[in-house]
Amino acid sequence: MDEGFTLVGMRPAEPSRPVPDRRRRGGIPFLSLAFLAAMILGCLFCRLVMPVDPGYMDLANCARAPGRAFLFGTDAMGRDIFSMIWYGGRASLAVGFLAAAVSACIAVAVGTVCGLGPDWLDGLVMRLTEIFLSIPSLLLVMLLQAALSRSTVAGIALTVGLTGWPRVAKVVRAQVRQLRQSGYVVAARCMGSGLFHLLWRHLAPNFFPAILFMVVMNVRSAITAEATLSFLGVGLPLEVISWGSMLSQAEGALTSGAWWIVVIPGLFLTATLLAITQVGEWLRRRADQGGDAL
Amino acid sequence: MSVIKRLLAFLLSLLILSAAVFWIARLAPGDPLISYYGERAERLSPADRARAEAALGLDKPIHVQYLRWLQNALRGDLGISYKYKQNVLTVIGDRIGNTLLLGGVGYLLIFSLALALGLVCARWRDRPLDKILCKLGTVTACIPEFWLSLLLILVFSVTLRWLPSSGAWSLGADGGSAADRLRHLALPMTAVVAGHLWYYAYTVRNLVTEQMGAGYVLLERAEGLSRGRILLGHCLRNVLPSYLTIMAVDLPHILGGTYVVETVFSYPGIGTLSYESARYQDYDLLMVLCLLSGAAVMVCNMLAQAVSRRVDPRMGAGMDGEVTDRG
Repeated sequence: MDEGFTLVGMRPAEPSRPVPDRRRRGGIPFLSLAFLAAMILGCLFCRLVMPVDPGYMDLANCARAPGRAFLFGTDAMGRDIFSMIWYGGRASLAVGFLAAAVSACIAVAVGTVCGLGPDWLDGLVMRLTEIFLSIPSLLLVMLLQAALSRSTVAGIALTVGLTGWPRVAKVVRAQVRQLRQSGYVVAARCMGSGLFHLLWRHLAPNFFPAILFMVVMNVRSAITAEATLSFLGVGLPLEVISWGSMLSQAEGALTSGAWWIVVIPGLFLTATLLAITQVGEWLRRRADQGGDAL
Repeated sequence: MSVIKRLLAFLLSLLILSAAVFWIARLAPGDPLISYYGERAERLSPADRARAEAALGLDKPIHVQYLRWLQNALRGDLGISYKYKQNVLTVIGDRIGNTLLLGGVGYLLIFSLALALGLVCARWRDRPLDKILCKLGTVTACIPEFWLSLLLILVFSVTLRWLPSSGAWSLGADGGSAADRLRHLALPMTAVVAGHLWYYAYTVRNLVTEQMGAGYVLLERAEGLSRGRILLGHCLRNVLPSYLTIMAVDLPHILGGTYVVETVFSYPGIGTLSYESARYQDYDLLMVLCLLSGAAVMVCNMLAQAVSRRVDPRMGAGMDGEVTDRG
């Protein structure tokens, strides 16, 4: 027989090469990062940006529409909205970051204790967490807020932070439970490493990427919570300027048709939340990839 | 046996919850007498004040008050609302229908719309339609609910004057006709649905996308089934259990999401009531409202576990509480 025959219609298969999946990697969200950086810098150095003192009530110019004199208009008390945006952003962003930090600390502590501790402790804490979570978060924040009775930026951040940790704690706990049997943790324990050493050197690097995304999302929900609370009149009072307290004048503004008092702070708020979300999603994609490579 | 155990755990949880709420609520510095007597409370003489506090049982230490509340509650007497001077259950009963209407219909809308939207996104994944929907969805998910409500009022009530901005029915027409109620529901409903929709649509999209990489999809494609048929006939069926679980767990979350919206629209429901009772120290009312929502959350959690165990027996007893981690 002739060995050189070929099957009709069959092509030699080419060795396939893994195609890099560009979809999953996704680009760095430059626009969001740039916007966030601009907001943070603008708020930090608000003295350089603001044309007038944000607390100054120019009673001759109450509720002026946006124009040349007042870029974003003035509110019902004659305060310049453009200045208030930057000044109030400080309070809003500070609440966001502080609350996220508070909840991250609680979450790591609770999650580690649950993950490393005996089963009964784990069960007990998880059950209590569940009960804690069953109060609607808005109500819980209002109750805590009333109990701590502090209408300052730090007070709000503390209360919001106190309600934001359970989800993160669950992830930390699950990770720690997985890790505590692994060789290097057992080895470290055998060599007598303390709890903090263990946490810092061996456990945290593992769960950090997983919770980083959630912590960033907590910044977002904390900013939303502050705005909602202040809007409802139980958060920061009107004279402490934040994006939320600016919006608490909304009801009066709606009836008088002063749309800029409602729309402009909300736009900045939403844009900031959007940018934070994009950064968070990007962090999650990176964390997922890290998981794949292992 | 496990049913009894679950029931006991449930009751114990409620007990702890009631104690916690009782304690936190009374730590708050406000004056409950204001909610009872209104402005007059500030003009009460010290003697009158002491008498009023004694009448309401507010002069005793907290744990004594709590034990007395518990005793009465077990006998079915949950106390009166300081503000409305009515039995707590009557006050709640008058309003819970409104919340169930807003939250319940909103929940069903979110459930079905998210499913449809997620499937559409998954079917045309990474095509322009999906990309546009994803971008749009991410933006809507970021808008705080109260601001969305304000915008809706600004556009549809203030500027266009199409829809009313507050209440559940027009003044005077108590109870109102169906059309009237619908007109009042339109804006709050939009705010509730728009606030939650994308989160669940995105969940469906991701669940379905995960399925589309499975072997059976490839096989069916090879057999010549259309994409739509595979998606609706096979992927959907595999996705539905997880989706149902997530939606069951989140039922109270969505109901709670109506709280803010209700307050903005001054819609006479549980949300507005909770906000008022927490703000003005209407203790007995607040207790019952918290217990109610707490019970709803716990029941839904148990329901979700039961559903997932029934659908997928691999979700054994050891997985308790893990179902919530999916979101």
